[in-house]
Amino acid sequence: VRTAPRGVDVGSAFDLVGGVLKWVGGAFLVPAAVAVGYGEAAWPFLVSAVITVGCGLALDQITGEKRGAAVGPRESFLVVALIWLLVPVFGALPFLIGDVPQLSRPVDAYFESVSGFTATGATVLTDIEALDQAMLFWRQFTHWLGGMGIIILAVAVLPRLRVGGRQLLQSELAGPTEIERFSTTIRQTARRLWTLYVGLTVVAILALAVVGWTGMDDAMTPFQAVSHAMSVIALGGFSSKNDSAAAFVPLTQYLLLLFMILAGVNFLRLYRLLVQRQVDVVRTDEELRLYGAFLVLGSALIITELVAGDFAQGEEAVRTGMFQAVAIMSTTGFATADYTLWGPLAIMTLLLLMFVGASAGSTGGSIKVVRHLLLFKLVRRELDSSVHREIVRPITANGVAVEERSLRSMVVFVLLYLLTFAIGALALLLDARFGGRELTAFEAIGASAACVGNVGPAFGFAGAFGSYAPMSDLSTVVLTALMWLGRMEIIPVAVLLARTYWRG
Amino acid sequence: MARLGGPSCDFPTLAHMRIVVLGAGHVGAAVVEALYEEHDITVIDTDARRLAPLADRYDVHTVEGNGATKSVLRQAGVEDLDLLIACSPNENANLVAAMLVKKLSHAKVLVRASSMEYLEAWREREIDVDFMVSSELETANAILGLVGVPAARQTDVFADGRVQVVEYDVPRDAPPGPVIGRPLREAELPQESRVVAIIRGDRMVPARGDERIEPGDRVILVASPAAARAWSEVISGEAKTVDDIVVFGCGQMGRTIARVLLERDIRVRLVDSNEARARDAAEELHEARVFNASAFDADFLARERIGAGTAAVFALNDDAKNLFAGVLAELQGVHLTIALTHDPRAVDVYDRAGLDMALNPRQVVAEELVRFAHDPRIRQIAMLEGDRFEILDLTVRPESELAGRKLDELPHTGSVIGAIIRGGTVLFPHGADELRPGDRVIIFVESERASLVERVL
Repeated sequence: VRTAPRGVDVGSAFDLVGGVLKWVGGAFLVPAAVAVGYGEAAWPFLVSAVITVGCGLALDQITGEKRGAAVGPRESFLVVALIWLLVPVFGALPFLIGDVPQLSRPVDAYFESVSGFTATGATVLTDIEALDQAMLFWRQFTHWLGGMGIIILAVAVLPRLRVGGRQLLQSELAGPTEIERFSTTIRQTARRLWTLYVGLTVVAILALAVVGWTGMDDAMTPFQAVSHAMSVIALGGFSSKNDSAAAFVPLTQYLLLLFMILAGVNFLRLYRLLVQRQVDVVRTDEELRLYGAFLVLGSALIITELVAGDFAQGEEAVRTGMFQAVAIMSTTGFATADYTLWGPLAIMTLLLLMFVGASAGSTGGSIKVVRHLLLFKLVRRELDSSVHREIVRPITANGVAVEERSLRSMVVFVLLYLLTFAIGALALLLDARFGGRELTAFEAIGASAACVGNVGPAFGFAGAFGSYAPMSDLSTVVLTALMWLGRMEIIPVAVLLARTYWRG
Repeated sequence: MARLGGPSCDFPTLAHMRIVVLGAGHVGAAVVEALYEEHDITVIDTDARRLAPLADRYDVHTVEGNGATKSVLRQAGVEDLDLLIACSPNENANLVAAMLVKKLSHAKVLVRASSMEYLEAWREREIDVDFMVSSELETANAILGLVGVPAARQTDVFADGRVQVVEYDVPRDAPPGPVIGRPLREAELPQESRVVAIIRGDRMVPARGDERIEPGDRVILVASPAAARAWSEVISGEAKTVDDIVVFGCGQMGRTIARVLLERDIRVRLVDSNEARARDAAEELHEARVFNASAFDADFLARERIGAGTAAVFALNDDAKNLFAGVLAELQGVHLTIALTHDPRAVDVYDRAGLDMALNPRQVVAEELVRFAHDPRIRQIAMLEGDRFEILDLTVRPESELAGRKLDELPHTGSVIGAIIRGGTVLFPHGADELRPGDRVIIFVESERASLVERVL
């Protein structure tokens, strides 16, 4: 006889995690095929696949009899946290058991894997091109898998997630999705998201490949086209080139720029525009307008600095300025120039853009544009109500009133986000002090902001073409935790830390 | 003291009819009062206690039961019915009864509703009833008239909304100005608009150049949306001064009043002491400023400078509250206080207390229903449908004998070309403009001439 769980039903949470892991194992077959194609060793991926599927099955076994398919809203927090914690563990296996000297230590391999799955794009590699093609491909592929979300994919395809999928989807889909009116079932929403995601990726691959085939960009081989398309649509930032986007001609950079802007839009809106042809939905979208405004403002400030400070001129200033503003704000993290050499106005703008982020419901990280929009409206309401005490003024997004509860949780999120960022920066500085290494305050701020925001590159040694390799192991762990927290938008983890979560 | 409402009997009476009135509340009673002498009336209500006084006072049949059921309607003699007036406070029951009567007999049906959605669906002819009226909307329009903004009775749209057919009631006290009281050819009419008819009393006056718009007239225009707004200002003559109206009470009535005012670009402040109601209103009406405060809170009234508003409307759920709040607002310096009543006798109480206007929404709606019952055509002028006037949307055939002629040269028959859509652009033509083959024209015609016009063009 089954007893009703007291408190959290940890068993069924692990059961679900096991179920998802079984399927994640299949993902290794793709890089294995790439390895075979390039005549490289496929066995690291096959072994990883076996281990992952084995662990998934084992979790299934340990948790005993099937405890009913559904997980409650309470368990979904645990499921999300565990999946984002465990999937990168298995994702790091190929780096460890394969021949990758730069990632031979578990701390580094896990960092690289978390950075991949969270679509951050921070790397501890110093010579990217030294990796095998299949390993490079796997790095890019982790971006692509994590970008739209493994759980959303699971909701879309796994029959057992028909029940309880809403909480899972909402806890993984970036941004406050309460304000989104799901007019379809959760499963259909998840499928739409992934359909669009796959579609956009295919378009990006084709666009980049055409540039390569027609000889307009010799560096853009089919392999690079696939690698960068997966990275750009996931707003990740890993590049299979040491020089990131600087390895390509301006035309390719413009294409990447375009795809970054596109992938930074709410996918639910994008679906309505591209698939359902509802132009009005997009034209009147308040978040989209602010997104555009941030992009223009950020680009303008950087271009001003580039031209006035004589870092670049003419078309180059416009291209690199826009590219960098978009790459940082959308939390991609590609680079066409070493922005760490630019003047303070540009550097400061980039740092602030790290806190903007892309739109809710996109593949980007950070605070997200819609939260800035709502915060701005909250400020206006506070000012209004300090003069007119009795005013009743609901905060609306796209003409729909946002519940006060959602607003409260939004404010709490932003505060937790800033707190996490501050603690992260302090932890890095503390570690550097006691480890006797050089780390400036700005480098610590940049690294913390870039990791919690899932941006990737920061400033100083971890800049545009740099690497997080100089960080100590402890700092690497801190940064890994920041990426993990940032991708899950902190609250699901914070809930797990609350005592009430575990009580009956 | 202006009083609106009160059954009016100054309409020509039609032949003896068999009428069923659904609902024996205030509205039903007012309707019965106005119609019982000439017609054979049966009243249906679920509550016998409401039926008894009506049966005692007037010579009417009564049926107790749910009027939205076939059995009760049969009991009321639906087979040989001429007219159903469904005026219970429950709009859904009214609609169901109307649908049933439409199926079971050939009677005309009049429905009292309150939702804007139903009214809009009816205007778009998706709900098959002959007349629909809402206390809320009629009251709101009456308030527009009271504060000096002409109420647009009806708007029909053509050409994707670029051409509107609008009717305005010119207020009776409208002062002569650049438009009112001047011959049309000399009047400074807003651009992109054309007066197609003037209705004076129950008479249609063709809008010739030597005709004048006078106070109390109803004007039918074909205009662009911008011009329709400009007309609103022109007719009231004081649109600029009507700004900022404070509505107390965020119920269905208060919200409808606020919405109608907001649609005229008048700023509205809404006040309700119930937090949930205030929030609902704020979510529904984005442009309104909504306050969660008591209408009896003098400090609040002073702090928010309620006295600086053009007018205050009291739509609270209790006459006594309306009275107290109204007098308090007067003390705060509000120039025009308009209070709604639930009990008809409150009108005298408000009057005695010094409130400026009293409006009884139930009487307003009863009056509309009675007007229609007396003579459907009068309302149908306003509706621009039925047997007197029509708006036609036609394309001029190349072989039409009128093609190529100037509008001045066309025969004068009372038909007016209000707008021409030529190659995607909308023209509001003058006499010197020419009619061309392929033009799409919006024409106001007498219905009996409609087929002739269709043939000639």
